[in-house]
Amino acid sequence: MSEFRLTRRYHFSAGHRLASPALSPEDNARIYGPCYRQHGHNYQVEVTVGGEVDPLTGMSVDLGIVDAAVQRVLLDRVDHYDLSATVADLDGVVTTGENLARVFWTWLEPALPPGRLRRVAVVETDNNDFEYRGDAERARGPR
Amino acid sequence: MATVYATRKFTFSAGHRYWRQEWSAEDNRRVFGHLTTSHGHNYVLDVTVRGTIDPVTGMVMDLGELKRLVGDAVIARFDHADLNRDAAFAGGVIPTTENLVRTIWELLQPKLGGERLHRLRLWEDPTFYVEYFGS
Repeated sequence: MSEFRLTRRYHFSAGHRLASPALSPEDNARIYGPCYRQHGHNYQVEVTVGGEVDPLTGMSVDLGIVDAAVQRVLLDRVDHYDLSATVADLDGVVTTGENLARVFWTWLEPALPPGRLRRVAVVETDNNDFEYRGDAERARGPR
Repeated sequence: MATVYATRKFTFSAGHRYWRQEWSAEDNRRVFGHLTTSHGHNYVLDVTVRGTIDPVTGMVMDLGELKRLVGDAVIARFDHADLNRDAAFAGGVIPTTENLVRTIWELLQPKLGGERLHRLRLWEDPTFYVEYFGS
């Protein structure tokens, strides 16, 4: 049998700034530049799940279940919030795209059918996107 | 030699519905929801081929040839087609994105060769795609 990978794209809008509590204001401003200022993005999140096809339904993962899980554990938590101030589950996280992708993975993994999550990508702007494939991912060519 | 991947994008529009004949209408609606009604999509198909660079042409593959192959085998067959009436979806195979991308793989793989076809990515709409790398 062979695996299919299904990717669904979602949107949310949120404010954030990049600032590390371990750094002085001067160092934060120097390292993060314009990202140190309070600002926000229309984020896109791509969630990729994988699995074999059920011969009866022709589906590998029910997108309705994926949509509901993403809405509940991710979008409801971040949409129109300030990621750097008003999301308790992001306390202590510098909200770079890398960290968001990793944290979103830990939120989504237990909410989705077991063993199906393959990839979380945070698209911050058209120019920047950040992918996380979990600790078990082995590179096998471009995906 | 280094392997290089080349991807070409194709588009086609097709209609479908999800329905299992042997199930009751209630069961179909419970499992497939609004997908039980005939509807359609503007599909986008990304075909990725791989290979080494030909030292003479500088190409992994002649993309004009790829366009002809995919055009003849896939686009001519599925563009403005009712997928439920296609032979590939006879006998109770639901024309989901998964089953459609596998069908397209089986059409292209013999023409391109197993070593050349790397990935198919089939977008049903701008928010959803399925990838297939063969079995």
